[in-house]
Amino acid sequence: MKEYDVISTRANRIDTPDKATGRAVFVDDISRPGMLYGALLQSPHAHAKIISIDTSAAEKLKGVKAVITSKDAGDIKYGVSPARYDETVFAIDKVRYVGDEIAAVAAESLDIALAAVELIKVEYEILPAVFTIEDAMKDDAPLLHEGSPKNLCAEVHQEFGNVEEGLKNSDIVITTKMKNKRQDGAFIEMQGCIAEFDNLGVLTLTSSTQVPHYVQRTVAMVLGMDVGKVRVIKPYVGAGFGIKASANPMELACCFLAKKTRKPVKMNYTRDQVFMLARARHQFSHTITTGAKKDGTLMAIKHECWLDGGAYTSFGIATVYYTGSLLGGPYKLDNMSYDGYRVYNNKPACGAQRGHGAVIARACFEQQLDMIAEKIGMDPLQLRIKNMMETGDTTCNDLNMSSFGMSECIEAVRKGSDWDKKKGHMPKGKGIGMACGFFVSGAGYPIYRSDTWHGTVIVKLTEDGGTALVYTASAEIGQGSDTAFAMIAAETLGIPLENIRLASGDTDMGVDLGAYSSRQTLMTGHATKDAAEHAKKQVLEVLAEQLKVPVESMDIRKGFIEFKGKAPDFSELRTRYIKEHRGWIDNPKSEKLTFREASRIAFLEKGSIVGTGKYKPHLLGGKFKGAAVGTSPAYGCSAQVAEVTVDMETGQVTIDKITDAHDCGKAINLTSVEGQMQGSVSMGIGETMHEEVIFDKQGRVLNHDLAEYKIVTSMDMPMVEAIVVESAEPNGPYGAKEVGEGAIMPTIPAILNAVYDAAGVRLYELPLTPERVYHAIQEYKEKNNIK
Amino acid sequence: MLLPKFEFHEPGTIKEALELKKKWSSTARFLAGGTDLLVHLKKKIITTDHIISLQKIEALSQIRDNKDSVEIGACATMAKISGTPVIKEKFSALKSGVDNLGTHLIRNRATIGGNVTNASPAGDSLPALLIYKAVVLLESLDGKREIPIEEFFKGPGKTDMKVDEILTGFRLPTPPAHSGAHYIQLGKRKSSEINVVNVASFLEFDPKTKKILNTRIALGSVAATPIRALKAEALLKDKIAEEASFYKAGEIARTEDCKPIDDFRGSAAYRRAMVGVLTKRTLATAFELAGK
Repeated sequence: MKEYDVISTRANRIDTPDKATGRAVFVDDISRPGMLYGALLQSPHAHAKIISIDTSAAEKLKGVKAVITSKDAGDIKYGVSPARYDETVFAIDKVRYVGDEIAAVAAESLDIALAAVELIKVEYEILPAVFTIEDAMKDDAPLLHEGSPKNLCAEVHQEFGNVEEGLKNSDIVITTKMKNKRQDGAFIEMQGCIAEFDNLGVLTLTSSTQVPHYVQRTVAMVLGMDVGKVRVIKPYVGAGFGIKASANPMELACCFLAKKTRKPVKMNYTRDQVFMLARARHQFSHTITTGAKKDGTLMAIKHECWLDGGAYTSFGIATVYYTGSLLGGPYKLDNMSYDGYRVYNNKPACGAQRGHGAVIARACFEQQLDMIAEKIGMDPLQLRIKNMMETGDTTCNDLNMSSFGMSECIEAVRKGSDWDKKKGHMPKGKGIGMACGFFVSGAGYPIYRSDTWHGTVIVKLTEDGGTALVYTASAEIGQGSDTAFAMIAAETLGIPLENIRLASGDTDMGVDLGAYSSRQTLMTGHATKDAAEHAKKQVLEVLAEQLKVPVESMDIRKGFIEFKGKAPDFSELRTRYIKEHRGWIDNPKSEKLTFREASRIAFLEKGSIVGTGKYKPHLLGGKFKGAAVGTSPAYGCSAQVAEVTVDMETGQVTIDKITDAHDCGKAINLTSVEGQMQGSVSMGIGETMHEEVIFDKQGRVLNHDLAEYKIVTSMDMPMVEAIVVESAEPNGPYGAKEVGEGAIMPTIPAILNAVYDAAGVRLYELPLTPERVYHAIQEYKEKNNIK
Repeated sequence: MLLPKFEFHEPGTIKEALELKKKWSSTARFLAGGTDLLVHLKKKIITTDHIISLQKIEALSQIRDNKDSVEIGACATMAKISGTPVIKEKFSALKSGVDNLGTHLIRNRATIGGNVTNASPAGDSLPALLIYKAVVLLESLDGKREIPIEEFFKGPGKTDMKVDEILTGFRLPTPPAHSGAHYIQLGKRKSSEINVVNVASFLEFDPKTKKILNTRIALGSVAATPIRALKAEALLKDKIAEEASFYKAGEIARTEDCKPIDDFRGSAAYRRAMVGVLTKRTLATAFELAGK
């Protein structure tokens, strides 16, 4: 096994001192001289024609600098996937949900801007609105978008192998339904941005985003500017979970306000606006039929899903594909069919959220595996071991598992939870359940069709030779990516972590597709490694010339030059370095030649030593329609065991413990990996137990704050035992792959399976509110004549 | 969300506060911990021209043990009440009520007077005050007034407090020997929660006969105000303190005493069912504590 000096440790995160001392700067901490404040006018109606907009009173209010509508912003359509651009910055002819943007104001203070918004008079003609899939699909339903009959936003039909045959040859066939509720990302930092133009017409947008690159391209397109004249900077960000993975209307409105006023403009969403923008997890309604042999061999899956999409496509086209493509693994399965439908309605648009598209399908399917195991009298853990994929396997929809520590994960949770002793031996009201899952380490293709590099990185050595600067446009949003890339750069250059200075999140630093689809560790990590290798090579080449030794005979480790065999005499180089260094007291005295000396000499010979790195995946996936969605250079996988207590009288479920094992390839920073696992479990528990965006009959969100939208509190979090399983991923930098999203996959079904074990009831709808569980228990008692 | 503009007053005595209130009348609001008031102002649920802070009036945050009763100042915070020895020892249901309100941070600010004058049917400290027979202490420039807590609540957000009055505190008679009380709240999560149902029960029994001498049951979140389960209480009178009696009391409370509604936090049917379970459970624990 290769020894590492920096990676594979528990290095302190480089952003910790800033965050622990309150010095980390987020968008809302930033102010500019002469800065104006923007505010949005958003529709109070779910569906209405706009007859007229009168901004005159707002414009006359003292302190107001600009009022803009679609007249200023134009009719360029944007969105997430170019084939599905269906949004404009401001509503032109009609509004489609409560919150649709109509106008924006920039003023000297936020108070004035908000007062001005109230002075804008809009005349509406109210249109009938639809809020459910059923209503939206009716023959006489009002249509949200021209060209989308029956409000069908997208449909997908796929079949791999022969499902009918597979089911016919099955001894056990199980059909169940599963439904979740619309989620909110509930990140702590609400979106905010500052847009400003300089005197040369260059636009800088500082924004709380996961994807500076996509925001840059969208802003440039909608404002009709060159990409090179738009710079997007991401300061520290308080999480995103997928919701901040595309340009939002506020960012675009802010740019238009800055353009019109020629002053910096700041805008922020309030928490209720975060709920109005939405773009988080869809509500999914699955029907899955799974067939298996008596010996537990899985034969076929027939899968249908309806996605409650909201008013626009957003990420939806990708979501509806992911929902199908990420179901088959991590088990061997030859036959799988999928029919997916995403339907528009007059609610805010749904989009991507941690575990994009795949978590509820898994919650449905992994419960069925337990039902099959029960029917054939097999331990559900054993059933999974029997069917799991192994390294090198490819799913029936062409996803290749180039590394796959699934069996190690299952064994780890079996041991960690003491499964063999507990399963089948828990007292009444207590239960244990398990589930598995897998997820991409970065989407195989960018959101727009392109041959672009997915990430470019620059490593520049400082002239004194002591420090390496790493520049990446990737997005640290709290997950620890900056630290991971600093560690990869240090490892590759062969220098200590403290000699790295890293800057990220700025489109001027290069191209990086950003923090989504769990891509950065693998993709940006590759580009970082590539750039560091390039810089290192340049230093060693200078040394080779100076010392007359072949490049191959040298390496750099822990800040020193290592020579194969006898070290050459480098006293001349050291003397030269020390002369350069006159007056300094830290002259090198080590027996070994230092990296600092070598890179200083390299600078003297060559000028700035700049290493450049880049990455894009090799060609991935099959040839069928939609084959690109779900492809990835590598897949992480995980297994979880949940232990619960169910109060049989009240329906309250307490999660006592989660044992979680995840194969992340090589763990760059073990602590960060565990952090992502814990975070995934917490989000999974929230979705299982409490979270649900609730609307009134007019399409307004009822619980638009974190008092009534219930994410888990520290009091709800059980003990989580996070077990990091490492595998050698050939397509990952140092063998690394994802952990950010895959770790959420098994959480929901593991809990559901444990609740069944404890209470004898299967729940097919989330969240598990005490009331829902209570009714299920009552039904169970009545059916089985239990008092 | 921005706070609307208002004039801020910070009197040092109850008298000054009352004078300000008399002057500004219904255009002024008292501020205690602010954990409800500031939220309501930000959400524009209420508006006010004047805010009279009570935070500088020390007398309002005192907790005094008079041996036969305890007096709790209206501005005593939940955290302070929870940490006061006499509350821990003799008013355990009140302690668990204040311990379950909001989060640690909120409990450091929120006051019992605020919780009571906010008059939410789901308020965490309210059922305990009902079962301990709290007396509400009010004061105006014309003098002092005392009324039983049961008469104080008039509806969601509505109380018997007059526009020129201030709530100065509560007097709770010390519970007798061989008595115990317990409070359980039920919500969707374990902290920072608004109750779906909350119940407190008090029970005094004769250790020789095991007969129940006295019981008071208060139900939250199942009517426009927290209410007493009078029929269930009547049923328990002179009954033997045992599981079967508690179960029957729960059934009566569920079917006859409570009047819940459906809302997005829970259905009336579930609330009813939980009144039964929680009444039974709080009585059982109250009895257990009474025997200690």
